[in-house]
Amino acid sequence: MNTPRQLLRIQCIARFLGTPIQRVIPPTGAHLQTPGTQHKYGQLLRPLHCSAVCSTSRPSQTPLEKTVEAETLKKDRSLVTHDDLFERAARDSKTKADFNRVVDVFSKKDIRRRGHVEFIYAALKKMPEFGVERDITVYNKLLDVFPKEVFVPRNFIQRMFNHYPRQQECGVQLLEQMENYGIMPNVETKVLLAQIFGEKSHPMRKYQRIMYWFPKFKHANPFPVPHVLPSDPVELARFSLTRIADDLDAKITIYQYPSTDITETGEEVMRPHIVGIQSPNQRTLLAKHNPSRPVFVEGPFPLWLRKTCVHYFLLRADPIPSEETVEEEFDLEMMGPEQSLFYPQRLELDLERDMGDDFRFDVDDVKEGPVYAMCMAGQGDQVTLSQWISGLQETCPILGQIPTVFRLESGPRELQTTSDAQQTPEQEVETDPIIEEEPLHSQRVKQ
Amino acid sequence: MNLNKLIVVSRSVKFGRNLFAARGACLHHFQSRRSIRSSARSLTYAKDLFLGKVNKAEVFPYPEISNEELEEINQLVQPVEKFFNEDVDSTKIDHDAVIPPETLNGLKELGLFGIQIPEEYGGLGLSNTMYARLGEITSLDGAIAVTLAAHQAIGLKGILIAGNEAQKAKYLPKLATGEHIAAFCLTEPGSGSDAASIQTRATLTEDGKHFLLNGTKFWISNGGWADIMTVFARTEVVDTDGQKKDKITAFIVERAFGGIASGKPEDKLGIRGSNTCEITFEDTKVPIENVIGEVGGGFKVAMNILNNGRFSMGSAGAGMIKRLIEMTSEYACTRKQFSRSLSEFGMIQDKFATMTLNAFVMESMAYLTAGMMDRPGVPDCSLEAAMVKVFSSEGSWICVSEALQVLGGLGFTKNYPYERYLRDCRILQIFEGTNEILRMYIALTGMQYAGKILTGKIKEMKKGNVGVVFEILGKKLKDSVVRTVDFGLTGKDGVVHPSLTESAKMFEQNAAHFGSTVERLLYQYGKTIVEEQLVLKKVADVLINLYAMTAVLSRTSRSISIGLRNHDHEVLLTNTFCKDAHFKNNFLLTQLQKNSPENNDANIKKIAQEVLAKRAYVCSHPLDRTF
Repeated sequence: MNTPRQLLRIQCIARFLGTPIQRVIPPTGAHLQTPGTQHKYGQLLRPLHCSAVCSTSRPSQTPLEKTVEAETLKKDRSLVTHDDLFERAARDSKTKADFNRVVDVFSKKDIRRRGHVEFIYAALKKMPEFGVERDITVYNKLLDVFPKEVFVPRNFIQRMFNHYPRQQECGVQLLEQMENYGIMPNVETKVLLAQIFGEKSHPMRKYQRIMYWFPKFKHANPFPVPHVLPSDPVELARFSLTRIADDLDAKITIYQYPSTDITETGEEVMRPHIVGIQSPNQRTLLAKHNPSRPVFVEGPFPLWLRKTCVHYFLLRADPIPSEETVEEEFDLEMMGPEQSLFYPQRLELDLERDMGDDFRFDVDDVKEGPVYAMCMAGQGDQVTLSQWISGLQETCPILGQIPTVFRLESGPRELQTTSDAQQTPEQEVETDPIIEEEPLHSQRVKQ
Repeated sequence: MNLNKLIVVSRSVKFGRNLFAARGACLHHFQSRRSIRSSARSLTYAKDLFLGKVNKAEVFPYPEISNEELEEINQLVQPVEKFFNEDVDSTKIDHDAVIPPETLNGLKELGLFGIQIPEEYGGLGLSNTMYARLGEITSLDGAIAVTLAAHQAIGLKGILIAGNEAQKAKYLPKLATGEHIAAFCLTEPGSGSDAASIQTRATLTEDGKHFLLNGTKFWISNGGWADIMTVFARTEVVDTDGQKKDKITAFIVERAFGGIASGKPEDKLGIRGSNTCEITFEDTKVPIENVIGEVGGGFKVAMNILNNGRFSMGSAGAGMIKRLIEMTSEYACTRKQFSRSLSEFGMIQDKFATMTLNAFVMESMAYLTAGMMDRPGVPDCSLEAAMVKVFSSEGSWICVSEALQVLGGLGFTKNYPYERYLRDCRILQIFEGTNEILRMYIALTGMQYAGKILTGKIKEMKKGNVGVVFEILGKKLKDSVVRTVDFGLTGKDGVVHPSLTESAKMFEQNAAHFGSTVERLLYQYGKTIVEEQLVLKKVADVLINLYAMTAVLSRTSRSISIGLRNHDHEVLLTNTFCKDAHFKNNFLLTQLQKNSPENNDANIKKIAQEVLAKRAYVCSHPLDRTF
């Protein structure tokens, strides 16, 4: 948004109209609150549209409409009143229907739609609260609140200057909010914008820019996360683990489904879910693990999926010390030149790749230990994770002989449900240091 | 090596005499070749091409057989041809997926189960050349050809080339008559072409007199009815330095030893009449006398069997295409379209030319290679044999497909044999080493050979040795000024007939260019060239083309010199093929140049990698929308 330019234009128009500008437009240009001036422009430029049809005599009035009436009657029509409108409507429930009702009420109340800019700003602000911030139909409905054809420039002078800047600004703001939520405008939006502001207005330009870039970026993320995550924790774990593993061969194993048992004493015992993932390569690596060296169960590590945070655990080992690495033995007879049954796997030449053709980068490899498996569990305690390890032993019997060390940080013990998933990352960071201050008392060796 | 070879020696002496009588043009040259032959044979043709050398002594003149042999083979061929035309019902074999016993008995009576087994063991004792000639006819039925090949080209070849006298005397007579059928058991479920991962194991019993064989072998041709099997298994061998190591050993295993179970025959696309199945060995007791060669020496046995068994595919393919040409031309000349017969249309003529050229080249390559293998000494023709196999398997596929196309919809029906030929010949590109593996073999074996010789020179160059660099620069300058390359194929002491001069020049140019390209590739990649499969594929393709050009040049030169019937047609074919191959080679060699714009390898690799990472076709559907 080109605020300085618009500011200049507004001043120009103001001077042109003989009205001095008395207020400073904030640099964001988001909330242009000029209750007085708008009416003046409207009156000056479009006197014909000022037909005063009042709907006070409508037969069936809902309580909401009544409040609207009351509000409109008051002289002081500020932004706060529209906020109130939404809050009043949202007293018992906040749904799309409620939101639409408020918009409908506003639209029907007054043919002149007085205060529609303020109303739209207020509505945009309230959209996330009503959970409609990703709904294209709602945005179109909001756009529909603008009176049609009023703001379309009619001659070259109007076209040249910023015609109805506040309204255009508001339209741009609406499109910007759509953009921020990643909502792509549709044909209806385009038609509405053309009707309201004309073909070459700022909102129309904004629309065109969105339509240029959005399709290009739509598939920019090769690993998309759906907006609605599965609610079943097992399904969520399955999704998250395959997302981390990124190996098409990796196999998900559900070691335990979540269930609740009631013991003889009447206590409820929660059996948390345990979902693990392991690829065939990891399995062979684990089978080759030296049983005298321990493996570690570590975690929980966070994984953010949009606004949800889940935690996973790793089964890993320290890097193999260089003295223990066994070089793969080549059987010369089978691999060597002029010996192999089908074709030589290597040549016996004293020639390396020419320096000019060696396009490899000089990369410092950091030796890291192998990761043998991953899991997600309903509870991050040692008991639950031992169950996972014993489940892994079924496919890798050698794991029974390897000492397993649990290095668990007492992180969130339970998987976050979607209700507390609203927690922002900042809050998460705040709680983390507290966790780290606790001593790693849970380090124990399972033999 | 064995008696067979001795017989061949005596024959080749006669064959030399014949040549002298037949032709004067190549006299000088031939003499020089003979003198080299008397010393230890070390010349190799295909490998030397990698060094930019043309060992014309190896391939010129085209090998011949004596009149007596020719008469003998003609006498053999006639009844076999008659048998295949009259008594073999290929449609039924294909439909029932089994060769009827009476057909098998007929084959046995003709001696086709012991073509290469020496006469003293009851076989026909034929040379490789004559084996190739019979292969032309047996290939008319794919199932029978594969059954016979699995029996004698690989199944009993182990006993024949590496077995001791006792083993030969014990097994060969019954195998020669077809009383026993042989199979070759190398492939395993876990190791297709990767023979190094053989899991079948043979353990010595405590008394040290038997091996206990355990394991499963896969895709064994004749597996269901074989009585004698050549089985490869791991055995523990004590090294010279006292370490225990696993080595591959070859065994002769009789079904009668027990503990052998064959699985259900595989239901296949083509060669349906042949029997392919799984064989499981469970504690099969194999006496120690049945080890072929020595314990731990099985790898060489397997290598020799496989590397030299492939040449006959060329003649087999040629035989099949020749038959197809007869059948389709009949149709093309009688069928009318738009009031003209099909044979008048250029696009149909194109197909016949393709088929003829392919058959001609295959035949030439096959008999040249067979002739080289029949020469005395221990010829190393594995490269040549592999090239014949690659060229003829791919050529056959194209030709059969073209023949089917001539008939249009009719060819697609089961009323005509084309669809069966098409299905049958698909296996040629797969078995006995897939064409991909053989291309790697061809290119890498040559690279290794050239690399050993060139390493010193390249190292000097890399060090910046002024002398060597100048020498090379000088040579390059000379090459660019004097554009002609002369390997002495044409001209005064030339071995190629003057009417083929142009083709020979094209070949020489390609050969020289190929040599310098190999040197540059070695300079560029060194031993890491093993990883550059797309480069190696091109190298192999160029070499195959070069060898094919050699074969046709050699064959046609002989035909003109001795005045064979229709040799003018051969000249035409040779010139056509050489021109075609020359430009193909030029393109391939240009692609092999450094930073060549014609080379698309990087992109090809990237496409494959992106698709394989997703394991699916990655593009969006053309009808998809984003808004």
